[in-house]
Amino acid sequence: MSPSFKRKIGFFAKSTKDVFSFFFSLAKKSRRTKIFFILSFLPVFMAFVVKFSQIFQLSRDIEGIYIFNNMIIAFYLQFLILILALFYGSSVTSEELEGKTLTYLTTRPVSKSAIIVGKYLAYTALIIFMVTLGVVFSFLVLNLSELRSVSLYKILFRDVAVLALGLMCYTAFFTFVGTILKKSIMFGLIFSFGWENVIQYFPGSTQKFTIVHYLKSLLPSVSRGRFSFLLFRLEPSSTGTSIFMLFLIAAVFIVLACVLFTYKEYILKD
Amino acid sequence: MTAIIQTQNLSKWYGNVLGLSDVTLEIEQGITGILGPNGAGKSTFLKLITGQIKSNIGSVTIMGQPVWNNYPQFSEIGFCPEQDSFYGEMTGWQFLTSLLRLYHLSSTEIEKKADKALEIVELSEDKNRAVRSYSRGMRQRLKVAQSIAHDPKIIILDEPLNGLDPLGRRKIIRLIKEYKGEGRTIVVSSHVLPEIEAMTNQIILIHQGKIFAQGDIHYIRDLIETHPHIISIRCSDPRQLAQKFIHHDFVLKVNFGLKKGVLLVETNSRDKFFGLLPSLFVENQIEVEEITSPDDNLQAVFDYLIGK
Amino acid sequence: MTIKERGYAHWDGELQDGRFPWWPITRIGIRLTFKRKFFKFFFGFTLIPALVWLVGIYVSERLEDFKFMMEGETDFLNVNPLYFKTYFTNDFLLFMVVMILVFCGAGLIADDLRHNALQLYFARPLKKRDYLTGKAAVIFFFLFIVTLIPGIVFILFKLIFAGNFQFFASYPWLILSVIAYSVLITTFFAFYTLLLSSIGKNRRYVSILIFGVYIFSDIFSAIFKEIFRSHYFYLLSIKSNLQQVGAVLFDQRTPWNIPWYYSLTVIIAICLFSAYILKQRVRGVEIIK
Repeated sequence: MSPSFKRKIGFFAKSTKDVFSFFFSLAKKSRRTKIFFILSFLPVFMAFVVKFSQIFQLSRDIEGIYIFNNMIIAFYLQFLILILALFYGSSVTSEELEGKTLTYLTTRPVSKSAIIVGKYLAYTALIIFMVTLGVVFSFLVLNLSELRSVSLYKILFRDVAVLALGLMCYTAFFTFVGTILKKSIMFGLIFSFGWENVIQYFPGSTQKFTIVHYLKSLLPSVSRGRFSFLLFRLEPSSTGTSIFMLFLIAAVFIVLACVLFTYKEYILKD
Repeated sequence: MTAIIQTQNLSKWYGNVLGLSDVTLEIEQGITGILGPNGAGKSTFLKLITGQIKSNIGSVTIMGQPVWNNYPQFSEIGFCPEQDSFYGEMTGWQFLTSLLRLYHLSSTEIEKKADKALEIVELSEDKNRAVRSYSRGMRQRLKVAQSIAHDPKIIILDEPLNGLDPLGRRKIIRLIKEYKGEGRTIVVSSHVLPEIEAMTNQIILIHQGKIFAQGDIHYIRDLIETHPHIISIRCSDPRQLAQKFIHHDFVLKVNFGLKKGVLLVETNSRDKFFGLLPSLFVENQIEVEEITSPDDNLQAVFDYLIGK
Repeated sequence: MTIKERGYAHWDGELQDGRFPWWPITRIGIRLTFKRKFFKFFFGFTLIPALVWLVGIYVSERLEDFKFMMEGETDFLNVNPLYFKTYFTNDFLLFMVVMILVFCGAGLIADDLRHNALQLYFARPLKKRDYLTGKAAVIFFFLFIVTLIPGIVFILFKLIFAGNFQFFASYPWLILSVIAYSVLITTFFAFYTLLLSSIGKNRRYVSILIFGVYIFSDIFSAIFKEIFRSHYFYLLSIKSNLQQVGAVLFDQRTPWNIPWYYSLTVIIAICLFSAYILKQRVRGVEIIK
């Protein structure tokens, strides 16, 4: 590796870090983040309700880990991470254009790629933190009586990792969508709740054109029955392939977003 | 003097709307005022020279380097945009320090520079208030602060005096002049003539996306040969002087001013006029108190150029 | 005129109300929505169910001609209140209604808040009520096109295709059901959308809330229902409440085993809550905390 290339990489990393800390501290204070925090904590509230009702024998005695795996995770996987990734991913570019603040960033000695990558990492870290906190609390509440079982923590770790991978991947995709489309939300909703939900029904290789396929491949197959309304037919890919694909998808879309953002001209309307 | 900013055949259009047309110019050290009415192309020009937008034709260089996507250059450039937009949830202090962080400075340096910039624009007392609670004038000063905080060599200010009260305007004008004294290059746009006039003699007149004139106000004046100039002479015997002038074909009109002892002469050749003047004074033993050019201000030039 | 008189002073005269002071707000809202990219295409897509149902009405009158295609089951082609209820309460239509709201409703108040435009509105002879009516009317306009108008068209075409008034004689109240349900669903969604549009200044954020809250309420209620095995948890779902009341209005069995007026109470409560919040949020003077 030549010294000038090393220097460039070092500069890029430093710029990315600076952009990251700028937007991480900005986003964590915003009112919107607080609302999304509440939204991601609603499963914790649900877990409390379930636990209390079980203690007072108001509901059937379903294992905590069963509810956690089949409902809480399904809720996060098929709804919440999509909503969070869509909002924050599309915000990477769109909020700068809508707020006409892009000028403040593009007249600093940081590359446009560093702006995209730094902001993407800041938002992804924030929503991963948000989701992880909700998932961990739900897990603890639902499995209150079995907290000494190590195997349960393996499940928790796996689920958190899958959700984090999902957020990483979807946010990258929506970051790209935000840089290419002015009105990215409608496209994002159609993609998230149309494409992702419909295509995964399709047999064979078709479902591999969705991100959710690789995420679900990392989770154990769910027995058909009471909770099948939340999970759909799956012909899983291997764990290695899934993880590789998720990283690949995230990397490809972030690179595309960087290239586009660098060469596309954004005109802030008065 | 070498040019700091150079543009070559710079043209920009938005769809079928012309933003800027075939602009070739050089901007040197000191203060340069970009003057033109609203929608003339001032902001387009400033956005092009700061790499905010791409030109359709032509090129821009700052200190010999192309500006589009040349981000390392921005260590030396400060830009105050026209639009009144901020990260509203931040305080003034957070806004400045966050942007300064993008210059890869140490925390101590960031704080020092932010403090200094806030002090210059007199926002130190309000630095911990949310930007969205600032008045228009305060927001404008904050925008100026972010453009000067990193101590740039080139400062580009798009309508920096908008929304400021007279006192605020005076302070910013003084600041800009001080920066000139420090050897920096300042490009400042405005559609208000007295604002530019108060800052500089070096102007670029823009209208309908075209550069109408560039240079010193007097130089521009000389360019307009066909435009008559009025020269006011206060002397001991204006009527005798008038008599001498009317024999020359480059004198179009003579008039006596309302003030006693003032003669107003309209000429279409300043050079010939001023060449003749000393000999007339000497030959006729006329004592001169003052020679001024009442229409030698931007408004007169500007009105003439845009065909008013 | 002295200088003092030319200063800013409250006008003591009486404001003359126009007949529909809210109309310009509605007109511009509708126009701006149609100008949005892909909206026309999307809106056309939303009308596909109405077209399918209309074809169904035609086929129902020509069952003999289409028998070779049907192969047995033709019950679903009986044009009766169930047929109407199925159209009005089907998941797809409600989903598309929410998507229309994302298009036409997200920015209704949020954009005004963002640009501090409320002060401009209220600097005119316009009351808060007129402002909200104008905004709500935009939603009424679009939702009536996919609810009320298709419902009336179905009835009219049923009568035209049948060539007699037997259908009308059998269900004279049906048109009232169509109107009542359309008004209910539209009023609810108008309050729902305006509420969410008033709590943010960012259209993208509001769009996500409009969509997210609707879907979220549905998932949440489904999970609770599965755990507790109680239909009462459907009261948490916006969709289920609308379907429940819809079934009653079309004189059909309710889908869930809970009293329909519970659902109606939930709907009314959300509307009242929205009205309260809107009253707080929509004001001519910006209060900066």
